[in-house]
Amino acid sequence: MSTLQTSCPSFSDLAEYWTTDIAPADIERIERHIFECQRCARLLTEADQLRTAIGDLAQAGAIQAFVTDAVLNRLARDGVRVRSYALGPGETVRCAVWADDDVLVTRLRGDFTGITSVDAEMRFDTGEEWGQVTDVPVRNGATELVFALPASLVRKAPNAPMRLTLRSAVADSTSGNVLAEYVFHHEGALDRRTRDG
Amino acid sequence: MSRDFPGQDGSPARSAGKSYCHQRGGATGSPVRRGASLAIDVFRARRYVSHVTRSNAIPLAACEDGVLAREIAASDAGEATAAETELYRRFAPRVRLYGYKHLSDRGAADDLAQQVMLVVITRLRAGEVHEPDQIGSFVLGTSRMMVAGQRRGESRRAALHARFDAQDAMVQPSDGVALDRERIAPCLAAVRERERTILLLTFYAEKSTNEIADALGTTAGAIRVGRHRALASMRDCIEARRPS
Repeated sequence: MSTLQTSCPSFSDLAEYWTTDIAPADIERIERHIFECQRCARLLTEADQLRTAIGDLAQAGAIQAFVTDAVLNRLARDGVRVRSYALGPGETVRCAVWADDDVLVTRLRGDFTGITSVDAEMRFDTGEEWGQVTDVPVRNGATELVFALPASLVRKAPNAPMRLTLRSAVADSTSGNVLAEYVFHHEGALDRRTRDG
Repeated sequence: MSRDFPGQDGSPARSAGKSYCHQRGGATGSPVRRGASLAIDVFRARRYVSHVTRSNAIPLAACEDGVLAREIAASDAGEATAAETELYRRFAPRVRLYGYKHLSDRGAADDLAQQVMLVVITRLRAGEVHEPDQIGSFVLGTSRMMVAGQRRGESRRAALHARFDAQDAMVQPSDGVALDRERIAPCLAAVRERERTILLLTFYAEKSTNEIADALGTTAGAIRVGRHRALASMRDCIEARRPS
């Protein structure tokens, strides 16, 4: 059992141990503590498992998120197969995923000057909602947002036009100004043998 | 990787040797050095009687770290196997975490845990740990020394293994139940979009707080707050989904 149970750091503090920019003094403080405190040693293990699991999910292409090129670069390094589409406001793209794709990435171009966050929703022409997210962070002056979806999820989507709408984020997500709309003519899941044949 | 300790799979100690200890103040409460005088042998004999007769014996799993260390230091080889196993169970995962942080390699971290615990137990047995109550500090210090040694390209494993004469159980190390994708995926999906992006940039893309702040057009402080909130939320979610 531990002999020093005082001043236990929080789970989040312990998780900072696994970040790349934790200060050397903080590393030393955490290490000294976990070698005296069995409970915090377990929490540090949990934090390690959590961040490892996040990485595993990303590597498996099982993430749906707005990301940056840093994440795409890491996916490329990990050998994850990424299919990319890019389109500007009002544009339409015919899109599909192939049998060996892991992740579908859409570069949503636009002028996001003065915008700090957006809400996004995807709807079929029927009006049925396919998904929505709120409070997507936007760097001031950004010219594109990068949206990543698991290819497995896209494969299950119906073959039908889908409209993605970006709004400036406000408390009531339905009332934000429309910034841009993009239309995806989803052509389903394709197989290379079908394409090559 | 050779395996030298029974129970290194993380299970509680239940192998050969005493499966209980006496807390400080009991019969094993003071450090005893091996290979000493007749007086110590008499002391050990008394201690054995004490083990059998005293009522303050408690399970090893409930003993303080220092008590385990003193138990090992006071025992002959093979006599404190259970205490050694319990000490290994407690500290090997911590050394492994330390190793992974500083060596960035799971295999190397596993090896480090083996090597450090070999040294620690060997030195405890030899009576070379002067403050058994500070065994945590000793394990950390040994870990630091060995990581520094590895960085200098020193290979000490062969010599250490030659010094150690203990058990040879073949069990893979484990830190318990790992988080599986099925449990964590819904929790990651449930956090706010902004926070999910922060988690991915932190723990997958391995970007610094300042780099993330720059990429998302916000401050480092806001990134830290978002990460703290996301981790707390995920932990709650994972706990709620823990199999009963």
